[in-house]
Amino acid sequence: MKSDSLVSHTWRDNPIQRLLVNCAVTIGSLLVCLLILPTRFPGMELASIGPNWLLIWVVAWSVNRSTLQGALAGITLGLIQDGMTAPSPTHILSLVAVGVLTARLRKGRYIQEDFISVALIAFGTAVVAETVMAIQYCFQADRSLIEIWRYHQLIALSSAILSSLWAPVVYFPLNRWWQWIESLEQV
Amino acid sequence: MYTLRRWWDRHRLRIILASMALGSALLIRQTQATPIFEAYQLVARVFQSNPTQQNLLENAQFQELQQRLTELESQNQRLRELLGYVSESKQSGITAPVVGRSADHWWQQLLLGRGSNDGIKVGYVVMAPGGVVGRITSVTPNTSHVLLLSDPSSRIGVTISRSRYMGYMRGQSTSRAVMEFFDKVPDVRRGDVVSTSTLSQLFPAGMPVGRIESVNLNKSPAPEAIIELSAPVSFLEWAVVYPHDQSAPPMAPTPSSDQKPPL
Repeated sequence: MKSDSLVSHTWRDNPIQRLLVNCAVTIGSLLVCLLILPTRFPGMELASIGPNWLLIWVVAWSVNRSTLQGALAGITLGLIQDGMTAPSPTHILSLVAVGVLTARLRKGRYIQEDFISVALIAFGTAVVAETVMAIQYCFQADRSLIEIWRYHQLIALSSAILSSLWAPVVYFPLNRWWQWIESLEQV
Repeated sequence: MYTLRRWWDRHRLRIILASMALGSALLIRQTQATPIFEAYQLVARVFQSNPTQQNLLENAQFQELQQRLTELESQNQRLRELLGYVSESKQSGITAPVVGRSADHWWQQLLLGRGSNDGIKVGYVVMAPGGVVGRITSVTPNTSHVLLLSDPSSRIGVTISRSRYMGYMRGQSTSRAVMEFFDKVPDVRRGDVVSTSTLSQLFPAGMPVGRIESVNLNKSPAPEAIIELSAPVSFLEWAVVYPHDQSAPPMAPTPSSDQKPPL
């Protein structure tokens, strides 16, 4: 027991190794979200629309962080999603809006921190994100307004329902991890 | 100077981490997310090889026969349409598994498990049991992206097989698409077969696309018809990629006043 704790304590006591492990876990969780993104598992889709995993990750990241950090996460993940689809209506704006909004919500202490509140935040921000995308499509001349907003209704609702249901799966373990790392920093 | 130094000392780590994150994200964007899709294909390959060897072989044979049948059907239709014309030589396709969908909700895309290592290039045409599905828009060594016909940004020139009236089709993000005719009074009925037209630059002419579901001749700028796309895109498991030289026909599929259907 004693020797085991001695061995496992080595990386926790070293700040640089702790930082590296923290970065690895954070990037690893992001990578898992990115790899699930193109899949449509049965039971995980609604009208062939899946949960917005990057949005869930940005929400989980920004809940306990500053507005600037939320925006940075939004920009980073927006760039990646642009690369995975197409950059013409950019995903940066929608994900930055999600990050900033989530961080502001926590700042104001409007919502207590638990499963339900994260699911609610994910629901609201998913609708906001799809609306930002729809507005961008309105400025592009390649489809009519009626088509955009009719499709927006479908996407916004399905994406919001699925994202809010799956949000705790990403949020809970990640948040526990970050809280634990923070408690180690303070010791 | 001192305050600047102190500020740098305090935020150094965060700034370095943030700029690293932004830099790598930018790199991923510029490379069209190649590392992510390669990793995805690596993971997806594990799930693809689940069935036993025998099963896999039978499945492959069945798939091959099905694909050949589809190919012959489309070839047959093309020949029937071009009756009297010399048909181009038969090309062999590359069969590829469908491993994923679009990474967001606005784009109608497919992700195929074959890429430039198997000879797929941008602009190649993707067929599935039922007809044309879309075309390749980007390629990584082991994956390739298909922009589906159902995407609103993909517009192709199509023709009614029976009466040869032409128009262009645009996607609606569902299994239906809208066709706009170039003529004021086209001869079109419910159930007519729609195929790609000779004016289409992105697709070879005469490939099956779908069937007319309803016609609205009173639509104001041009008569419209709703097309039901024949390939079942939502539960597709395999697709066949055919080489296509985009620069072959001189005319673009966009509608203009001087394009009249041959009567």
